[in-house]
Amino acid sequence: MIIVAKIFEIILPPILAFIIGIFFIGLFRKIMARIHWRYGPPIIQPFLDLIKLFHQKGFSHGPLFDLGLILSLAGSMVLILFIPFGGMCALGNSGGLLVILYIMLFAPLGIALSGGEGANPNISIGISRKLIIALGYEVSFLLVLLTLMTYYKTISIVDIVNAQSNFHWALFSPLFLSGIAYLMILPAILGIRPFDVVGAPQEISSGPTAEYGGRFLALFHIWHAFSLFIGIALFVDLFLGGGSNPVTFFMKMVVVFVLVTFIHAVFPRLRTEQAVRYLWRWPTAISLLGLLLVQIIK
Amino acid sequence: MDRKDIKKWFKEPGKMGHKYSLWAVYFCTGCGIIEVPPVITSRWDAERFGVIPVATPRQANLFLITGYVSVKTLKAIIRTYEQMPEPKYTVGFGSCPINGGMYWDSYNTIKHLDKYIPIDGWIAGCMPRPEAIFIAVTHLWTLIDKGMATAHIKYREKYKYYRENQEKVLKGLDWPPLYPIEDSND
Amino acid sequence: MSLTQLVIISFAGAFLTYFSGKVSSKLRDVFAVIISLVLIAILSYFYGKTEELRYFSFLGLPLLLRINMLSWYFAITIAVVGALSIIFSLSYMKGKEKTDFYYLMMLLVNAGMLGIVLSGDLVSFYIFWEIMSWSAFLLISYNRGPALAAGMKYIVMSIIGSVAMLIGMLSLYTNYGTLCISEISPLIDSASSGYILFLLILFFVAFGIKNAVWPFHTWLPPAHSEAPSPFSAVLSGILVRMGMYGFLVFFYVVLGVKLFLGLGQGLYRFHYILAWIGAINIVIPTFIAMFQNDSKRLLAWHGVGQGGYMVLGVAMGTSLGVVGGTFHIINHTSYIALLFLVVGAIEYRTKGIRDLNSLGGLIKKMPITFIGALVGACGLIGVPLTNGFVSKWLIYKTLILKGYPFLAFAALIGTWGTILSLYKFLHNIFLGQLPEKYKDVEKVPFSMQFPIIILSSVIILFGIFPGIPLKVINSIVVSFGLQSLNINIWGISSETGALNTINILTAICIALGFVWLLFRIGEKKVSIAQDDNYAAGAYVPKGKYHHTVEFYNPLFRMIKPYFKDFVDEFYLLIVKVGRSLSDKVRKLYCGDLSYYIVYIVLFLAVLIIFKLGFNV
Repeated sequence: MIIVAKIFEIILPPILAFIIGIFFIGLFRKIMARIHWRYGPPIIQPFLDLIKLFHQKGFSHGPLFDLGLILSLAGSMVLILFIPFGGMCALGNSGGLLVILYIMLFAPLGIALSGGEGANPNISIGISRKLIIALGYEVSFLLVLLTLMTYYKTISIVDIVNAQSNFHWALFSPLFLSGIAYLMILPAILGIRPFDVVGAPQEISSGPTAEYGGRFLALFHIWHAFSLFIGIALFVDLFLGGGSNPVTFFMKMVVVFVLVTFIHAVFPRLRTEQAVRYLWRWPTAISLLGLLLVQIIK
Repeated sequence: MDRKDIKKWFKEPGKMGHKYSLWAVYFCTGCGIIEVPPVITSRWDAERFGVIPVATPRQANLFLITGYVSVKTLKAIIRTYEQMPEPKYTVGFGSCPINGGMYWDSYNTIKHLDKYIPIDGWIAGCMPRPEAIFIAVTHLWTLIDKGMATAHIKYREKYKYYRENQEKVLKGLDWPPLYPIEDSND
Repeated sequence: MSLTQLVIISFAGAFLTYFSGKVSSKLRDVFAVIISLVLIAILSYFYGKTEELRYFSFLGLPLLLRINMLSWYFAITIAVVGALSIIFSLSYMKGKEKTDFYYLMMLLVNAGMLGIVLSGDLVSFYIFWEIMSWSAFLLISYNRGPALAAGMKYIVMSIIGSVAMLIGMLSLYTNYGTLCISEISPLIDSASSGYILFLLILFFVAFGIKNAVWPFHTWLPPAHSEAPSPFSAVLSGILVRMGMYGFLVFFYVVLGVKLFLGLGQGLYRFHYILAWIGAINIVIPTFIAMFQNDSKRLLAWHGVGQGGYMVLGVAMGTSLGVVGGTFHIINHTSYIALLFLVVGAIEYRTKGIRDLNSLGGLIKKMPITFIGALVGACGLIGVPLTNGFVSKWLIYKTLILKGYPFLAFAALIGTWGTILSLYKFLHNIFLGQLPEKYKDVEKVPFSMQFPIIILSSVIILFGIFPGIPLKVINSIVVSFGLQSLNINIWGISSETGALNTINILTAICIALGFVWLLFRIGEKKVSIAQDDNYAAGAYVPKGKYHHTVEFYNPLFRMIKPYFKDFVDEFYLLIVKVGRSLSDKVRKLYCGDLSYYIVYIVLFLAVLIIFKLGFNV
């Protein structure tokens, strides 16, 4: 019985994450359409796109082109198992937040390797922008995570979620400054405006995905769905107390995601140096203040 | 529009997928491109049909040739068409690709685009209205359903014919042939 | 088989190789490889033994050789890296001049380092230290030209360090009358904290210059770039870590944990300041590495930066920290040696090109070199399933749990600097378009591929089974008097968060298999040439694109003014001031007899006034 429950705990989160991710992309396009006063595609449109992409004969430039993408998607799938998803966390006691931080490196690394094999200068520019913006938000992201780990005195994310039960959410405790900083860098983590210069269709012909077609693009979309899920799930786990079952978790994720979509609809796209300059100023200052506040309280 | 017909999705997912997510490569050929931005923005929303513009031909499966084709543009069109993944659909838009249109006696435009690139369907007009683009899309759906949108298969089978025409008008091509050409001596 | 025989074999082997080189070069090659392998075999016999013996008497001082787990740990690393470098140099040095001299110096450096870790008293430590430093100097300036200036910079700073160590040794001798390491440690417990601080600063300068700790690091980038590549691997891998060995011996064996952690109070504790120096040492060099356009210089700056992790771990004083810092030493050896050997392979095939702005696309021609570079880069970044991740995880955990979030932040942000610079390294050499002039490059010969393959497998093996080296390090840490850790073969288990690499490995393998299956669902793919790219409808002929120049341009424009090496400029300023001062003094020697007579008369006048005025 325990084995069956354990297997369930391992198989169910990635499947649910995929469905929720695809639903989020569709919801994103629908909300943007409604904000633009038009009807927009049906919410399951990304799913239809995936079906079409799997039936298209893509082009490949070499073996590393496929392997890099497979590695990146595998890394994202593994990452889902480390994040508590409404009470289910299969690998919660294998290293905690530090391992999560490091497995998050697989995804851009895989896409960077695969894109490098594509040998298109647009891809190289896209990847260099992606890494530069990652450096931009990582400073603030690390400060926020360190504040949390110092406040709760643990590196395991399951402990942090359990310490926030009964509505002692971290967002309403002395950690609110870190929560605000995390909200400010959440668009950069998800890759949406104002920080979506990475996949700018008009400037660099969609950056790292310039040479993807067919099943490569399908895997990239699945990766995009997973990365949306992971970005928002981390925020909900760390600051909004996770959820005791997947349904409450999903509700909180929808609220955060709709908020983020509204930000995407309003802002223009910042250039790379403008984005990095912003990310190194205000979110870093606020998260630094949050860290100092926690240090003084302890 | 049978997008909600679940049984059909299970029976032939490839065809239904290609119908309801046609991604158009955003290639601006001639004066017809002025009709495309209204189609994809709020007034005549193309996204509800699943049609969105994408940046590169590698990600696209619909090619809209909007307007007159000069010889210089023909080179880019052939390149872009060959870089699209199969299956792919082409639509000629406006009367200039059909028979030369307004520029029927110019030295620099292509009069019959069908000799160089296989075309699935034409939209007549000097500039057709955005509603005509939607009628074309729904017509393309019917063709895909019946299996009659076979321009890319025709390109592969009759590649020798197309390549000869391309070389004649462009006076030599820098890139190698896309499919191997067997020289038949009989 | 005793320790003295080991030392004699290592030195004799060096000279025998030189003389056999005069007979024939094939004999010399074979001899060099055999000597290095014999050293590994003898050292593996010594695993787990502890002995101390006296081999010489010098001016009334006994000279001791000693082996314990700490010495064995360093000695086996030295022997293995030395052997792999010599195997690599078999093909690399073909056709160059003075190869007998080169092999003599490589084996002498090896022997010197072995002597350092096996010495039991400070005099033999100093002697072997000097042998190692001087042979390293001769090897750094082996290719003439800019290598001479680099070697000069290195030897001047190394001499300053050796002089500091000599002063410390002399003061220890005058105070305690003995120089044996095992005898000093109980005696030094009774010293005053001012004296301990004085000794600590002297030895910090000595070992810090060798280890390239941040204020003293300026010799390292030019030296690593100009040395021949197999020696760069040894130099960056294990020679600079002799400074870390000195730190470990001095802080934990001679002083002991209580004295080391108890020096100073509050914010001015010595080990806390040392940890901050380590943290600055991580951040600044890894970001400067991003801006380098020469592949060896990029790796050299990483050599400086990763030393910060080791200093940070060792300075923490907790068992997790010391285990993490010590483990990072051999991890860093494995990947930086691997990356320098990869650069050597590229240099060998492209006739000496190191400039990142002109290489590209070599993955199709040199696949095994690429896999080695990829594994080395992943290890340096600290991707899970490589050994770098385990040591970094240990260091972060101790920093966070002890409540030092700013130090942990500095350590974590170093990873991102590493990612950016190593992606630039990989991309500019292996990915992208292949320029026309390199289309005839072939694979490197097997004697160069063999060290690359061995080092990559070590990285992955120690990443998946970290228990194997961690057991050795645990016994070292227990011998220092710190708490032992709960080690199993897959990692560490403790109440405050465990590490299990088997979970990560299984999860990644299953995920890879699943995604690969998903990948096969789609339609078949069409393979096209690499230069058939989307170029907005144009067909761009081969060889016209080169898109690796100025890779991180937006970031450079922002932060380049803040990340210059201002310590280097400060030292050069001191050199300039000193030179101008001595230039002025030089003007006294004008060669004109009348001036000299005036000097003599003036000096006599001063003496007479002095005698009259003070009646002395």
